[in-house]
Parts: sequence; structure tokens; C-alpha cells
Amino acid sequence: MTGPEPGPVGPEPILSVRHLSVRAPNRTILDDVSLDFCDREVAAIIGPSGCGKTTLVRSLNRMTEVAPGVRIEGSVRYRGEEIYDPRVNPVLVRQRIGMVFQRPVPFPLSIYENVAFGLRLQGIEEAEVDRTVRRSLEQAGLWKELDGDVERSGLTLSGGQQQRLCIARALAVKPRVLLLDEPAASLDPTATQRIEELIFDLRKEYAVIIVTHNMQQAARIANRTAFLYQGRLIEYSDTHQLFENPREKLTESYVTGRFG
Amino acid sequence: MSLPSLPSAPLGDLRGSAARWRRRHLLDRAMRWGLPLALLVVLFPLFDMIYWIAVRALPTFTWATLTTDQVGLGGGLYAMIVGSFTLLALATGFAAAVGIAAGMYTAEYAPPSIARWARVAGNLLAGIPAIVLGYFGYYALVLYTHWGYTTLAGGITLGVFMVPFVYRTADLAFANVPSEQREAALAMGARPGQYLVRVALPIALPAILSGVFLAMAIGLGETAPLLYTAGWSSTPVAGLFQPTSFLTGAIWNFYDYPSTEGSFQALAFQAAFLLLILVIGLNVVVQAVAERYRRRTRGMMA
Repeated sequence: MTGPEPGPVGPEPILSVRHLSVRAPNRTILDDVSLDFCDREVAAIIGPSGCGKTTLVRSLNRMTEVAPGVRIEGSVRYRGEEIYDPRVNPVLVRQRIGMVFQRPVPFPLSIYENVAFGLRLQGIEEAEVDRTVRRSLEQAGLWKELDGDVERSGLTLSGGQQQRLCIARALAVKPRVLLLDEPAASLDPTATQRIEELIFDLRKEYAVIIVTHNMQQAARIANRTAFLYQGRLIEYSDTHQLFENPREKLTESYVTGRFG
Repeated sequence: MSLPSLPSAPLGDLRGSAARWRRRHLLDRAMRWGLPLALLVVLFPLFDMIYWIAVRALPTFTWATLTTDQVGLGGGLYAMIVGSFTLLALATGFAAAVGIAAGMYTAEYAPPSIARWARVAGNLLAGIPAIVLGYFGYYALVLYTHWGYTTLAGGITLGVFMVPFVYRTADLAFANVPSEQREAALAMGARPGQYLVRVALPIALPAILSGVFLAMAIGLGETAPLLYTAGWSSTPVAGLFQPTSFLTGAIWNFYDYPSTEGSFQALAFQAAFLLLILVIGLNVVVQAVAERYRRRTRGMMA
């Protein structure tokens, strides 16, 4: 795979983050971060451990507030609409902006019911659920691989398959944005490659934002890359430029492996 | 292959003092015999009791023991069996409904300060002597309500006795559901209630069930909560607001009965034997359910 070209910055980003700060009781996790994410592109967020990568993506679908004692300031707009507006329903935010975690988390249900989970929450009718489950599993490359055997428990799948099951589950509710928090961190190289290929395909329909520890991974799949350091956004530009010709000294030392 | 012979070196460095070596040797000997002996002391009463009860119950134990009413100084345990199971059903219904709901609230909804306080209180309730609870039942459900001695009063009092066991396991079972499951469900747009019912409950259910069965095994063997609440009746339970007999009551009432024929005493031993079988059976169920739980959640709790 070769790295994709970044598209032209559209007039309207799908997600736009302005002056976002996240504070825990005794420290600042994210400090005044502003950046835009475009539709039908992959954006990677890189940086050393504890730099706030995970907190940043979790703030994009209001999962940060699930933890107690966290204060969030600033603004995140989804297609122009403020997701932190008190009148906004976080449940709907999370349906539009799906999320997949570092470790695969299949529910203790069948493969089918795992993918149907979000649809059942919305009370969607059976025939539609059936179609969507199948299409989502096909998108994640699981339908063929499992030969349509989707009645067994999701826990019986291998780690890589479980992670693709979680991606299928996130896709089933038809999100516009997909947040992936180090989706390949617990997988072997072959499973990682399958996930990367999948992300590459997903870019045609979704905005994908991926947190990764792995700079080669970012270089392979991301149109744009953001470098975070100690809670601050140091640099955000197209991937080639960030890796080959970074504007900031700090970025250069990180991408050339001088720390991290 | 033999080791190459080494030039002999002065001994001592590797041996240490002889006296110390002897001391350690003796200590090792003492432990090797003392620890199994302690285990024997723990287990002896169990087997002695089973033997002691079986020897006195089995010679006169027949099918009729299970199916006939108590008549005069003899007869069977039928009324007490029906009574015990009626009381246990009422108590289990009460304890399971209240205990699981309270456990769910403590693990998922309660503010941390309230949850901490509730767990302490739950343990406290589990430690209250059964006879004190029995007196509370007598005061609240027999006298205050003007019901008199009733099956319902006995069932509820026994249920209150069993609640903390269900509550503790339910709370733990919900709290032990991996937090990733909760996050993943919320990230899918589930409300906390939907997460509890669709994700947490299936994961926690086997553990909760083993808690319910354990509470049943404990409740089945209790006497004190029933003595002042359920009353006594030599015929099978006729209604919730009628008194009833129960198996542990047979032991309590008949064991020291001065009967020359000894059939009343035999009835007490037969009740004890039956209780033993039932309690052992329930414990086997608890183990089986717990094992199933372990197998099911493997790979999720990693």
C-alpha cells in the first residue's frame, strides 16, 4: 500500500474542533486544541504515550464525560452543529460518530446480535436489521470468512476477527465518522494488515480518525496526520509533509525516533 | 551421565550450622503432619455428622416418610416438606427480586459514597443473628400486622434473612463486568439501562444465580427466622395467611421429645437427613453454575 493523497480541504469540514481543553481534577490532559477533520479522509493522531491522543478522539463523540470528574471546555462541531450543546443528545452523537477501542470488545452475544446491537437499540425493523447486519459484516470482510456462520458467540472469534466484528458493529448504525483508538495495538501483523486494508476502503464512505502508536501505520493509511505532545497540538498537516518535511523541530525529533 | 569429579574443597560454606539444619528439619516434619491434621479436624465433623444422622434416619426412612402427614407421635414429613418449600419459594422470590434490583442500583447507578455505605450495611445485615431477625419478624409481621402466625410472615422474614447473600453477589457480579463492555455499549448509543439489561445482565446472570442458590441453601437450613413467624401446623399449608410447619421445625420440636417409642425422634432425624441431602444438592448446583460462569466469561475478563 502507498500512502493516499490528501484531498482538497473542503469548504465544510465534517468535524471541527476549537480551543478544546480537557482537565482532570489535578492535571490538564488536552490544552487548547484546534483542528478540522474532512469527510472521506483518514486522519491519524500520533504522539508519545500520555500525550492526550485517546482523550482527543473520545472527546469527539462525548465519551470523555463517561469518566467522572473530567471538565471539558471549547467546542466540537459536527457538520456545523455543536455536540456539547446542552440540548444535544449524547446518544445521537455517538450514533453519528462511532468508535472502536484498542482492545476488541465483543458483547457476550452471537456474532449476528453483536452487529445488530445498535440497530435493536433504535428499534429498527427485522428485515432492515437483517440486511444491515449482512452488509456490515461484508464491509468488514467477515461475512465470507465466516461462511455466513454468524450464530455462534462473538467471543469465539480470533482477536483480529473480533476487532473487525467491532468495526462492523460500529458501521451498522451508519455513522458518518469512525473513531479508531489504536485498533491494531493488540493484533499480530497479519491481522493488523487486514485492519489497515479495511480502513483504506472505509475512507471512500466515511471520515476515519485513527489514533496510533505506530508511525509507519500512520504513514501508510492517513491523508493527514496530527502530532500531539503533552496535551498540545504541535503540528497538523498532510501526512507526507509531516513525516518528510515537518515544520516544527519537536515533530521532526519525534518522527525521526529521537524520543517517544 | 555422571558429573565430573571435582577437587575436594573444604566443607562448610555450603552446609551451614548443623543445629540450624536439624531445627529446620524438625519444623518441616511438624508441618508435614500438622497441616493435614488441621484439615482433618475441619472435615471430621461433616462426615461424622452425616454418618450420625444417616444411621438414625435410614432404618425407618421409607417412601411414606415423604408422602404422609404427621399423625399423633409418628407419621411422615409431608406437611413439613410442603411447608419448607412454600416458605423457601416465598423467601427466594422476595430475596431475588429485592437483592438483584438493589445490587444493580449499587453497582451501576449509586453515587460512590452511597454504594460504599450500602455495601457495609449489606454485610452488616448478613451478620445479624437469625434469632434477632426472627424476633423482628415476630414483632413486625405477626403482632404489628395482626396477621398472627402465617406462612407469609415466615416467608418474608426468611426472605429478609436471605437478601444480603443475593445482594452481595448481585452487586459484585454487576461490578465485575469489564468496564470496556460498558464503554462499548455506551459508545454504541446505549443508555445505562439498556446496557444493564442487554449486556451486563447476561454476563452477570450465572454469578447472580449461584448467589441465589447459595441463599436458598442457607435459607432452607434456617430455623430461627421461622420459629416466631410461621407458627406450626401438622397438616400441609392451607394458605398464605395460615400457619405452616417446616423441616427445621421438626428437628427443633421433635428431637428432645420424651417418646418411649422414639418415632417422634426418628421423625426429627429423618427431617435432618432430608435437609442434608437438599442442602448438599443445592451446593452442587451452585458449583455447577459457577463453573459454567467461569467458562463463559473466559476470554472476556483477560
